[in-house]
Amino acid sequence: MHAYQGIAFRIAYLVVGNAAEAEDAAQDGFVKAYRALHRFRSGEPLRPWLLKIVANEARNRRRASTRRDALTLRATAESSSGEAAPSPEAALLESERRRALVTAVDSLPEPQRLVIACRYFLDLSEDETAEVLGIRRGTVKSRTARALDRLRETYA
Amino acid sequence: MPELERDLREVGRLLVFPPEPELVPAVRARLGDAPRRFARRRVLVLALAALVVALAAAFAVPPARTAILRFFHIGGETVERVETLPNAPHRSPVAGLAGPMSLEQAIDRAGFRPILPPRHGGIYADDGVLATYIGPRTVLTEARSDLGLSKKVASRQTRLEPVTVNDHDGLWIEGAPHVVMYFDSKGRGQEKHVRIAGNVLVWAYGSVTLRIEGPLTEAQALGLARSIR
Repeated sequence: MHAYQGIAFRIAYLVVGNAAEAEDAAQDGFVKAYRALHRFRSGEPLRPWLLKIVANEARNRRRASTRRDALTLRATAESSSGEAAPSPEAALLESERRRALVTAVDSLPEPQRLVIACRYFLDLSEDETAEVLGIRRGTVKSRTARALDRLRETYA
Repeated sequence: MPELERDLREVGRLLVFPPEPELVPAVRARLGDAPRRFARRRVLVLALAALVVALAAAFAVPPARTAILRFFHIGGETVERVETLPNAPHRSPVAGLAGPMSLEQAIDRAGFRPILPPRHGGIYADDGVLATYIGPRTVLTEARSDLGLSKKVASRQTRLEPVTVNDHDGLWIEGAPHVVMYFDSKGRGQEKHVRIAGNVLVWAYGSVTLRIEGPLTEAQALGLARSIR
């Protein structure tokens, strides 16, 4: 459980946008997973199965709650390895671009926002994303493509 | 990778998440006392094994058929009392492990250096776990506690007695067959069930959980355990 509690909490947080709700959702998800273990298919990867239950819990809470905190970024970004440190102006510009991108992601319809969060913020594979969100792999691909198109329109 | 996708990954790396809560105590408390709900941040901090260990139980112990009576946690090993033992074949405690092999090969395979008694047989190992015979039909198994690889399911007829081994917490399991379930370290549900007829001494030593299984009395097992340090 220790191995999964971090990502479980983060996925719940990305769904509900609220730390307290995310903690409750993750906790409820783990308890439900335990009680549903007889339905887990031996040989399947545990992580996406567990995260799916947590994400469902978070989505149920999301429906009951309208408040979602905006995503925020760390104030100072480390420079990418091997690259020269950007000038203060360039760093500021880059920081503003990233903030704009976060705002754009936050404004996406929930299904697209979640697929972007799973794929790029949590670094889940397409298969894992499909399992966690309870959709087909093809839907992950098409939903990701639509979300990226939409982000390009608003972020470019 | 297209620029937008690279930017999204970078943003993901820089996202600020609230501090990660410690979920394990709350979940454990709720599982051990199902009717009650525990409020956030009101739970006691308990020492416990990884949930994956506890999770393994339900594969073999459907809740509708058996009631979980009580958990014991020693290092990475969980012992749980149930009404009915799941079906499991008798197998050697080293079944499923590669070997025998040399100590160095075992260390390489298991990923840690075991604590061994002065006299032991060849070593069998797999990722995070190794075992060796230390007497007739008596096996010493060591597993990394953080992987939480194994679980024992004991019936009401099994005696469970907390003991101290070289100043470390332990548990003596005696009197009736019990079932061991292994859950692999890569998070895939490859559980293996083994029925153990002998007595077992389990104790934690740092980040390793040790157990001696065999036809031993408690005094004999404790004597052997004291030579392993």
